[in-house]
Amino acid sequence: MKSAVTTVVTSADAAGRFPSMSDIEAVRGSFDRAPARMEAAEKLASGLEKLTAEAVDAVYKKGTYDQANKDKCARDINHYLRLINYCLVTGGTGPLDEWGIAGMREVIRAQVLPTAAYIEAFTYIRERVCIPRDMSQQAATEFKGLLDYLINALS
Amino acid sequence: MLDAFSRAVVSADSKGAPIGSDDLAALRKYVADANKRIDATLAITQNVSCIAADAVAGMVCENTGMTQPGGNCYPTRRMAACLRDGEIILRYVSYALLAGDASVLDDRCLNGLKETYMALGVPIANAVRAVEIMKIATVAIMTETNSGRKMFDGINSGSGAQCKEIAAEAASYFDRVIAAIS
Repeated sequence: MKSAVTTVVTSADAAGRFPSMSDIEAVRGSFDRAPARMEAAEKLASGLEKLTAEAVDAVYKKGTYDQANKDKCARDINHYLRLINYCLVTGGTGPLDEWGIAGMREVIRAQVLPTAAYIEAFTYIRERVCIPRDMSQQAATEFKGLLDYLINALS
Repeated sequence: MLDAFSRAVVSADSKGAPIGSDDLAALRKYVADANKRIDATLAITQNVSCIAADAVAGMVCENTGMTQPGGNCYPTRRMAACLRDGEIILRYVSYALLAGDASVLDDRCLNGLKETYMALGVPIANAVRAVEIMKIATVAIMTETNSGRKMFDGINSGSGAQCKEIAAEAASYFDRVIAAIS
């Protein structure tokens, strides 16, 4: 699973060397960002159900999309937010890449679900994050960065 | 390969639940101890040759036949292989220590090590003894309980006594090595 530390260790191991000072600086940098990431992960975990419901309601109340898909959309949004929670914890995009994005488009298409609805929902969540009510500035930056990453992968 | 963070992710995913406050408490401790962990890693990386050479020398001193003709450390080619293996084990222990998880040590170093040693005719009891000495030396350097001077430059200005918990974690990785080859 890709994270700041495993990336450093993998490259050190490939070269057969001990962790160098620059490796250690890289790890330290990720540790410095960790409190903000963990704050975002914690807030997201506690508000995950509510956030999902709110986003799906906002997207489906407009009537653009078939209401029959609403539950499936909610299930998937919930799943992706959980993966974002994992990414916030690891400090890399590993969980999203490995469990969320690989094969994602094919699966969504096979179920004839509109990807546009997902993009709208994630954009809604992105816009909805309020600083400092929901989380601190740094935490929000980490969270929004991952939402952007996912939105890009979907579009 | 996992680290402390991805280990939490894998176990949360098997439950299908997000990582909440309870799991994050342990990770916050890992982050809070980051400087100590980095210092402990530096304690290994700055003393690799010393730790490995001491361990192999100690092992030979206790079994002087090893460097005589017919011994397992004769000729120097085999002694050198022994020193090299000591350094390799230290390298994977340093990775595991930095990651806060033993998976890199297990997957990339210990998996099949015992079988390799048996195939090569390495005397297991002596190899275990060398790892034991490396463990003792590493813990002593980390906690600054070795006699004499401080043996590494860390980034944390704290004293070696503060590295006790991390040193215990490092010791557990050496124990893992011993368990794997015994």
